[in-house]
Amino acid sequence: MKPFDIVIVGGGGSGLYAAMEAMKTNPGLNIAVLSKIYPNRSHTSAAQGGANAALANKAKDDTVEMHIFDTIKGSDYLADQDAVEILCSEAPKIIRELDNMGTPWSRMEDNTIAQRPFGGAGRPRCCYCADKTGHTILQTLYEQCLRKGVFFFNEYFALNLSLKGSRMKGLIAMNIKTGKVEAFPARTVIFATGGYAKMYWNRSSNAAGNTGDGQAIAYRAGIPLKDMEFVQFHPTGLRKSGLLVTEGARGEGGYLVNALGERFMSRYAPEKMELGPRDLVSRSIETEINEGRGFDSPAGKYIHLDLTHLGADLIKSRLPQIREMSMYFEGVDPIEEPIPVRPTAHYSMGGIDTDNFGRTVMAGVYATGECGCVSVHGANRLGGNSLLDILVFGRIVGRAAAEEAGKFTPEAISENEIKDKELELRSYMQPSGHYERYGSLREELGQTLGINVGIYREADKIRTGISDLEELQERFNSVRVFDTSDVYNTNLIQVLELKNMLDLAQTVAAGALVREESRGSHTRIDFPVRDDENWHKHSLYTFDKGKPFIGFKPVTMGKYELQERTY
Amino acid sequence: MNCRKEPINEEHMTDSTIQHHEATRDVTFRVHRFNPQVDGKPYFDDYTIQVEKGITVLRSLNYIKEHVDASVSFRAFCQAGICGSCAMRINGISKLACTTQVWDELEKGREPGVIKVEPLRNLPLIKDLIVEMDPLVGKMKEYSNWVDSKMPENEWGRKEFLISEEEFLKYDKATDCILCASCVSECTILRANEEYVSPAVLLKSFRMNVDSRDSRHEERLAELVKDHGVWDCTHCYRCQEACVKHIPIVDAIHGIREDALAVRGVKDTSGAKHAEAFMEDIEKKGKLVEATLPIRTNGMLWTLRNLLPMAFKMILKRRTPPPPPLVKPSKGIGTFREMFREMTEHVKQDHKK
Repeated sequence: MKPFDIVIVGGGGSGLYAAMEAMKTNPGLNIAVLSKIYPNRSHTSAAQGGANAALANKAKDDTVEMHIFDTIKGSDYLADQDAVEILCSEAPKIIRELDNMGTPWSRMEDNTIAQRPFGGAGRPRCCYCADKTGHTILQTLYEQCLRKGVFFFNEYFALNLSLKGSRMKGLIAMNIKTGKVEAFPARTVIFATGGYAKMYWNRSSNAAGNTGDGQAIAYRAGIPLKDMEFVQFHPTGLRKSGLLVTEGARGEGGYLVNALGERFMSRYAPEKMELGPRDLVSRSIETEINEGRGFDSPAGKYIHLDLTHLGADLIKSRLPQIREMSMYFEGVDPIEEPIPVRPTAHYSMGGIDTDNFGRTVMAGVYATGECGCVSVHGANRLGGNSLLDILVFGRIVGRAAAEEAGKFTPEAISENEIKDKELELRSYMQPSGHYERYGSLREELGQTLGINVGIYREADKIRTGISDLEELQERFNSVRVFDTSDVYNTNLIQVLELKNMLDLAQTVAAGALVREESRGSHTRIDFPVRDDENWHKHSLYTFDKGKPFIGFKPVTMGKYELQERTY
Repeated sequence: MNCRKEPINEEHMTDSTIQHHEATRDVTFRVHRFNPQVDGKPYFDDYTIQVEKGITVLRSLNYIKEHVDASVSFRAFCQAGICGSCAMRINGISKLACTTQVWDELEKGREPGVIKVEPLRNLPLIKDLIVEMDPLVGKMKEYSNWVDSKMPENEWGRKEFLISEEEFLKYDKATDCILCASCVSECTILRANEEYVSPAVLLKSFRMNVDSRDSRHEERLAELVKDHGVWDCTHCYRCQEACVKHIPIVDAIHGIREDALAVRGVKDTSGAKHAEAFMEDIEKKGKLVEATLPIRTNGMLWTLRNLLPMAFKMILKRRTPPPPPLVKPSKGIGTFREMFREMTEHVKQDHKK
C-alpha cells in the first residue's frame, strides 16, 4: 500500500476537524480516517449542552480573559495556562467557523448565535443547538468531510503502532467486516479515539466503545499518558444504565431525596441545595449511599431524583427529553414516580501526553480531543469546554500534522508483522480447559473501579482496587472468544477493548494512590486538602514491563497565581 | 446454562441483596442469524431469558451475547438513543433496540412473550443483525448532503451569518436525524428500487436546501428531480411512522417538491408533469384518465418505447383503461369542483403565510 501522509484514528469531532484542516492546509496530501464505527455514530453526538466561546452575543461584557480564568480555576489550577489561552482565544473563531460551514446553532432575537449560562462560568457563553449540540456539530463535520472527499476506512479497529525501535512506521488495524489485519504505513498518525471513562462500565455515561483504544495503543508503544487519575463524575446518572439526566432537571426544581425521604442536600449545601457544583453534589450522593441512606436494588444502590411535585405540564413542556429517557431506560415516568439515580463516570481529563500542537514524544505521532491531554482541563473540566477542546485542538493538530508530514520518511511494514498479528488474534479463539467470559470481567472491572477508585478514594481501598486489577489481568489471559468467524466478529472486538481498558485502569488506580492530595475530581478521604507544595504537578505514566512507571511534569503557569477554589 | 434463573441486571449482585422485587418474566428472543462464511441462508435462533421490568431490547441482546451465545452479532454504541447504531426490526418494525422496552414489545408479536429481532431491510445483509451502511453514505454524497457555504473557505471564522429564528425552525427538526436508517428499512419504494434516493437522504437534502448559508440549492434540486429522486415517493408515510426522532419526513419531501415546482417550473420533470396531469383530471372529471396519463407525464416517445409491451399484455388480459372520451365525469362533479376550488384557495393562502 502506498504510504499515507496522515492516518487519523477516530472519526469523532476532533478526528474529523483534523482531517478537514489537514486537507485545507495541503490538498495534495494522502489522508485517511480510520474509525471502528461509522464516524457519524461517534460519541461527540452525545454532548448535549454546548461549546463555550466568549462571543459576547449574550453578555456584552464577556471576554476571552474571563473564559481563561474560569477554565484555570475550574481545573483546580492543574491546567497549563498557555494551552488554556489557546483554547479560549481560538474559541470565538471556531464557533463562527462552524456556523460558516452550516452548523445549526440556536439563535438569539438579533439573529446571532445563542448563548446560555453553564456551570463554573462567570458569563453566559455556552453556544448551543437546543439539547443536541454535539450531534449537530458531528453531523456538520461529517457532511463537510464528505464534501471534501476525505478518505474513510469505516469499521476498522486499530490494533497497534508499527515500530522500528522507537520510530513509528504506521498503524496496524483490523478490517471489522472481513477480519483481515491490514497495514497502514504512514508518515504521521493522529490518535483521536475519545475518552476512557467506559472502564467504569455500568457506572459510566459513556458509549460502549469509549474504551481508550488510542491511549492504550500509544501507552503500549512507550508513549507516556498524563493525569490519568482525573475522571469526572456526573451527579445524576440513571441507576440501570449510567446514562445522564442533565442538570436541567435540578435547575427546574427537582429534589434529591434519600431512602428516609429527606432532601439531604440541606446537610451539604444548605443554600444552593440541589444546585451546588457538580463534584460537591456527586460527593454528597455518594456519602448518603455509603452511610446506608440509599435505596437498594439488583442494579446497585441509588437515591431518588424527584420531579413529581413539578406537575405534568412543566415536565412535559420543559423536560421532555428527561421524561423520555426515564421511560426508555428505567421504565419510570417522572410525572408518576421519582427517577432512580446515582453518580456516573462521564469524562476523562487524562490522556496521551502532548504539547500545545498535539505532538507526543514519539516523532510523527499526535493526539487530540479527549484522547489527548494538552492539558486544558487539569483536574476538573468545565461544562461546555469539552466540545470546544475537540474542535480547537482538532484543527491545530490537523494543521501541524499536514505541515510536518513531509519531515518523516515512510517505511514499509512487513508481511510477517501482519501475519503475527493475525495469529495473535486467532489465539483468543483456541479452545482451552478453563476459560473466562469477557462480559463478567468487564462488569467486575467497572465494579472494582466504582467502589475502590471512584468518587471517594483512600489508600486501603485503592490498594484493594489495584490487586483486583492485577487479578483481572491474570484472568484475562484465559478469556476465550467463542465467535470464530472472520466477518464482523464483535466478540473479538469487545475482548480487545477490554484489554485496552484493563491496561489503562492500572494507570488510573496507580495515579489515584500516588497522588496524596484532593484536587478537582480526585478526592482522597485520607488527604482531604489540595497540597500545592508537593502535588501541583502533572503525573506521567510510562508502560514498563506491563505496569505503569510514574513520573511527573511541572504545570505551565502564566498570569494566574494559585488560589483556593471556592464558588 | 444458568441464565434462565438469573434475572438480567447490570451488576452481578447476588439474589440475597435484592430488597424490593420488580416484576420479571421469561421472554424469548427470536433472533435472525446469518454468518456468510457458513450459512447458505438466514435462520432464527430462540433465546429464552428472564427479564426484569424496565430492561431494553438492547440490554437483553447484550445479556444474550455475554452470557448465552457470544456469536450473536449486532451493532451498538451509545446505548442512549443518539448514535443510531442499533436500529433493527423488532417485531417487524424498524426502531432502535436501545430505546425499546422489552415490556412494551411482549404482546406485539405473533406469539405472546416472543420478540422477533431482525436486521433492517433495504440494505445488504452482512451478518445476523448487521447490514451494510455504505449505500446510504453513497447517496448522501450523490445528492450533496452538505452545506456548500456561500462564504469562501479562506474567510471562515471571521464573522457569523445572521440567521433568523424563523429560518432555524425550518431545519430544526430535520437536524434531529441520526441516520439510523429505520426509515430506509421501512421505505416501500426502496423495496422495489434500490436506486431510489431514500427518505433519509431526501430529509437531509431538504435540510440543506432551506439553509440560506448554502450555495448549492439549484444543483441539488437538479439531482433530486431526476429518475429515482424526489418524485418517486408515493406518500405511504411508513418512513415518518417509523422515525425514531419523530421527524415529519413526508413534509420535507413535499417541501422539496414544492420548491422544485417553484424554482424549475411545472414542465420540468416527469414527476412534476405527472402531478399536474393528475390535478387536471381530478378537477375536470373527479377521476383519472389513465390511458393518456403516461403520455402527459413522460411524452409520446417514452410511452411508446416503454409501455407498448405492457399495453399489449393489458389488451390480452382485457385490462386496458377506457379511452378518454368514455371517461365521464363522476356523479356530483359540480359539488366536487366547488370543494376543489375551495381547497386550492386554502392551499394558496397557506403558502402566502
